Amino acid sequence: MPSKTITLGKSELRKDAWAKATGAAQYVADIKHEDLRYGAVVRSTVHHGRLVAVDASAAQEAPGVLRVITGGDIPGEKAFGALVHDQPPLVVDLIRHLGEPIAVVIAETKAAAERAAKLVEVEYEAIEPVHDPQEAVAPEAPRLYTEGNLISHYEIKDGDVASGFAEADIVLEDTFSVPLVSPAYLETENAVARWNADDTLTVWVSSQHPFTDQLEIAATLGIPAEKVQVKSAVIGGAFGGKEDASIAILAALAAWAVKGTVKLVNSRQESFWAHPKRHPAQIELKLGAKKDGTFVALQAKAHVDTGAFASYGPAVGIILTETLAGSYRVPNVDLETVVAYTNNPLAGAMRGFGSPQSHFAIESMVDMLAVELGLDTVEVRRKNILRVGDKMFTGVIVNETANSLPECLSHAEEVLKRFEAIEPTAGKVAGSGLALVMQSMGLGAKVPDDSTQGLEWLPDGSVAVHLGSPDLGQGLTMIAEQIAAETLELPYEQVKSIDLDTWRSPNGNVTCASRMTYMVGNALVDAAEQLKSQMLAQAARLLNQPQDRLTYQGGEVVTAGGERIAVKEIVSRAADDGIALQSEATFSFPYPEETTPQHLPIGMPHVLFCFGAQIARVEVDPELGTVDVTHLAAVHDVGRVISRPGVEGQIEGGAAMGVGYALFESMDLKPDGGWVDNFTEYLIPTSKDMPPSFENIILEIPEESGPFGAKGIGEVTVPPTAPAVANAVYDAIGVRVKSLPLTPEKLIHIRSNAE
Amino acid sequence: MKSIQISFVVNGKAVTLSSAPNRTLLEILRDDLGLTGAKDACGGEGECGACTVIMDGAAINACLVFIGQADGSSVETIEGLEDNGNLHPLQRTFVEAGAVQCGYCTPGVIMASKALLDENPNPSNVEIREGLSGNLCRCTGYVKIVEAVRMAAEEISHA
Amino acid sequence: MLEFDFLQPQSLAELMVALDETGGSILAGGTDVIPRMRSNLFSASTLVDVSKIGELSFIEERAGEIVIGALTTHAELMNSEVLRSANPALVDAAASVGCNQTRQRGTLGGNLANASPAADTVPPLLVFDAQVRLVSSDSERTLPLIDFFVGPGKTRLGPAEVIHTVSFPRLTGAWGAAFQKIGKRSGMAIAVVSAAAAVVLDETGKVSDARLALGSVAPTVVRSPKAESILQGQQPTPKLIKAAAQASAGDISPISDVRSTAEYRRHAATVLAERAFQQAVDQAVSLVGA
Repeated sequence: MPSKTITLGKSELRKDAWAKATGAAQYVADIKHEDLRYGAVVRSTVHHGRLVAVDASAAQEAPGVLRVITGGDIPGEKAFGALVHDQPPLVVDLIRHLGEPIAVVIAETKAAAERAAKLVEVEYEAIEPVHDPQEAVAPEAPRLYTEGNLISHYEIKDGDVASGFAEADIVLEDTFSVPLVSPAYLETENAVARWNADDTLTVWVSSQHPFTDQLEIAATLGIPAEKVQVKSAVIGGAFGGKEDASIAILAALAAWAVKGTVKLVNSRQESFWAHPKRHPAQIELKLGAKKDGTFVALQAKAHVDTGAFASYGPAVGIILTETLAGSYRVPNVDLETVVAYTNNPLAGAMRGFGSPQSHFAIESMVDMLAVELGLDTVEVRRKNILRVGDKMFTGVIVNETANSLPECLSHAEEVLKRFEAIEPTAGKVAGSGLALVMQSMGLGAKVPDDSTQGLEWLPDGSVAVHLGSPDLGQGLTMIAEQIAAETLELPYEQVKSIDLDTWRSPNGNVTCASRMTYMVGNALVDAAEQLKSQMLAQAARLLNQPQDRLTYQGGEVVTAGGERIAVKEIVSRAADDGIALQSEATFSFPYPEETTPQHLPIGMPHVLFCFGAQIARVEVDPELGTVDVTHLAAVHDVGRVISRPGVEGQIEGGAAMGVGYALFESMDLKPDGGWVDNFTEYLIPTSKDMPPSFENIILEIPEESGPFGAKGIGEVTVPPTAPAVANAVYDAIGVRVKSLPLTPEKLIHIRSNAE
Repeated sequence: MKSIQISFVVNGKAVTLSSAPNRTLLEILRDDLGLTGAKDACGGEGECGACTVIMDGAAINACLVFIGQADGSSVETIEGLEDNGNLHPLQRTFVEAGAVQCGYCTPGVIMASKALLDENPNPSNVEIREGLSGNLCRCTGYVKIVEAVRMAAEEISHA
Repeated sequence: MLEFDFLQPQSLAELMVALDETGGSILAGGTDVIPRMRSNLFSASTLVDVSKIGELSFIEERAGEIVIGALTTHAELMNSEVLRSANPALVDAAASVGCNQTRQRGTLGGNLANASPAADTVPPLLVFDAQVRLVSSDSERTLPLIDFFVGPGKTRLGPAEVIHTVSFPRLTGAWGAAFQKIGKRSGMAIAVVSAAAAVVLDETGKVSDARLALGSVAPTVVRSPKAESILQGQQPTPKLIKAAAQASAGDISPISDVRSTAEYRRHAATVLAERAFQQAVDQAVSLVGA
């Protein structure tokens, strides 16, 4: 590793930020188009039912309306989905959740489309809905699918739990629950699709996986994938929720139907119904330990509710299962997860992907155990954390990155001491709490995971990054540019990303799973090395010198005689000869056969991990039960900092999501039968809800396989916040809330029941 | 529904137009005037602040103003903040502090911050958090946003 | 968005004509009407925008009476020196409404006309025995504000009648007033429960007047005669204040909804009532003999 870096670890400025700060940045809904038409989606008003008839005649006759399409109009595949093709773009037969798309009205103006959408008459035959995952898998439950409502069932065993519990001095058993929550990015899902004169289709969509959208659109329309071009615009946040092709497919269908250009933008309410959210779960845990706090056995059963469609539910179930023991080694485990369909709006990928759920349970229980045994919460953790070389219950041997865990604990111990010394505000009771986190990177073994990225040296000497995966707003382009610049020994300013276009860009695969710095970075390091070789080859040709006598140094080719030639000269001379300097490299997420256990189902196990800890100080109003998070400290190991503000921004934003998860976010079914589906009722943290004091402690324990030692940070920032807050609340007032969010209502209710 | 005639000033330029009265200032700015910096993120409920513009000196949600109500007013949007090609200090400090991630909230947050600094050139962190509590951001946790506003305040007061 | 005709009178007189001619509905700051129209919870064939009627935007003191024009915004309420001295509870309540953007547009009249049991400005006005003046082209009347509210979203406002002003007498002597509110989050919070108290002490320090109003715990904001009577004529000891606050439970009928539970609201109402009373008493005590 070079001791002096060009751009790594520096506070570079994001190039996209300038356009965003001036209002010039073009998100999908901002882009101007000729002859733009507008779509409005007619959605189901029942949770479960059979679609009897759709009468669109009045809408079809309404002023400005071009066409109304329904499920029957779909020329190709009638259902799509990331893992299971179970999600109809438009309902054909069975309605499985409230707000499911039934028809799209396409009109000359948005107002005309919306007016006409109200004229579409839909006849239903209502069916009793099921909203609870445990009830959903009972034999008598109403079925969403003929095969039943069980979608995945995992069980991982290691050791022998029965004998583990037998040797335990103490066994704790409890149930934890977490609600349905929304990524609630500010830009709702949207897409513009244009049917071109040559019978191809161009789609602009705010999406994490344009290459998947391309395939799913083509399948729905029954046309070859090459005919579909998907383009990324600036993306207004995603957090997992934009790993869903629904809006892109609907816009594509609409454009195909009218052979024109159609824009679809979900309202906030539609967004709540339509996009994947974080799975609600009920987790039963039974933890056995010795008197000294050593864990001996863990048994768990989780019921996970994926809603009406699988989306990434089965994969979320996997990570949830793999993280049920958190960052700890437990010799005897029996961990079972059931993922079920219900008539709730779909859950799928959302930052943390199963791990916020499991961590709330295990990190709460570890503190409960410490209390029962009269031990220090840091000490109990220290005794049980995974150590380098430990074999996890999946069979994976933990690599050197586990060295971050004891460091996390030392920092946590120091922070806790400081927090505990702070005097509470008058009338408030203060408490501090800690949670550790283990977040996996990558899609899991046996899941193909290749990312291809490209570079191009332009005649002006600058380098274009042909990014194959979209930047969701987290700053992927900056990281890619920095890594390319560092490898090419060029200033950051000289490297610039090109917007993604599935017809032109390499396939970088979906932006998800805390693996973008890792995947994109590794691919770009490789691509940059290739580009340097090409540079030397061209220099050799043009200078008529043997290539092995030339070296590349910081944007210049140096001859054996010490002559320095600017790369720009070589690139432009090569261009004159019709030669372009372009490279592409593919990085495949490594699951080395010799170290990756093969006995588990596809998608298991995950082999690389991000570790961290968060420490919260809260002040509780003991009479009202209100909780203020006054301080948060986040300790995260990122392997290697590429961009310091980038890393900090991920941590601060992730912890903010964690604060919302801890205190008030919950997409509930209301007594009137509707969902909490707007920002008046679904509350995300405001600037006043974030702790006034936020501290980042960033560790850099290199991940050997990562670019410059770097690894992921996106998701690991979320799971520890809520349990840290819950543990702090217990520390303050002795009330243990086992379900999120930690509302004053629950705190007061639990306490008054205890009195 | 009878259309109405509106005259108002947007970023220093007089604008006269005719519109259906049920359209909001936000719709007019975005769809008719091409000023797409202000965003709709909550569906017109005034719950997110992404459409914040300054109307007659006050930060307001453009989604909660029917266009007729803007008649005779002076509206400032993010596109009007640049002065002779120079960015407003807030625009610069937001980039420099790393306060911009996905950027969807950014124009609204900057306009709310400008209104705050216009009224209170040297706000405390508590005042900044209060002044921006109507602007949701899902990416940053607000830490760097508060920092950016403080940096701009210092720059403006030393100018 | 629903369709409507739009009128924009420039004066009260023009407003009266517009209402008589069209039977239209009033649009003030729009912070409530516009979202409600979008959600199809409210419609009108004509919207009469009152935001340009400058004569209804003022805060004045007239012979010991504080008079507030209906179109005064929450931002103006919270920044008013007159109100800070005459009704600090109202200033605090106005400052807790929504966020800066909505406080700049939302008006006092609008807050009252919505008749939400969670309306922040109402409890501080009720504990000052505020009156509301309603005018139409051929009549005008003054009602106690408490009688103005009939139920959630329902008032005694007649057709073609508008809220003109709200007024209340300045308290004198040793008095104090306080507002307390709890929401689901810190920023942009709608009241889960709110409470306002006003207390006047005589020269011996005994309570000569105690008033308590509670929000979000009944179909309208309510006063609590049961709590008030406990303090009346007594030394306001912490113990008695607690007893009074607890007695307020007899005057409320909270429900469970998306924001909270009846159980919690009942509990929190007594806590906030106690705090509001105590805060008001502490202010008043500092003025006894002053």
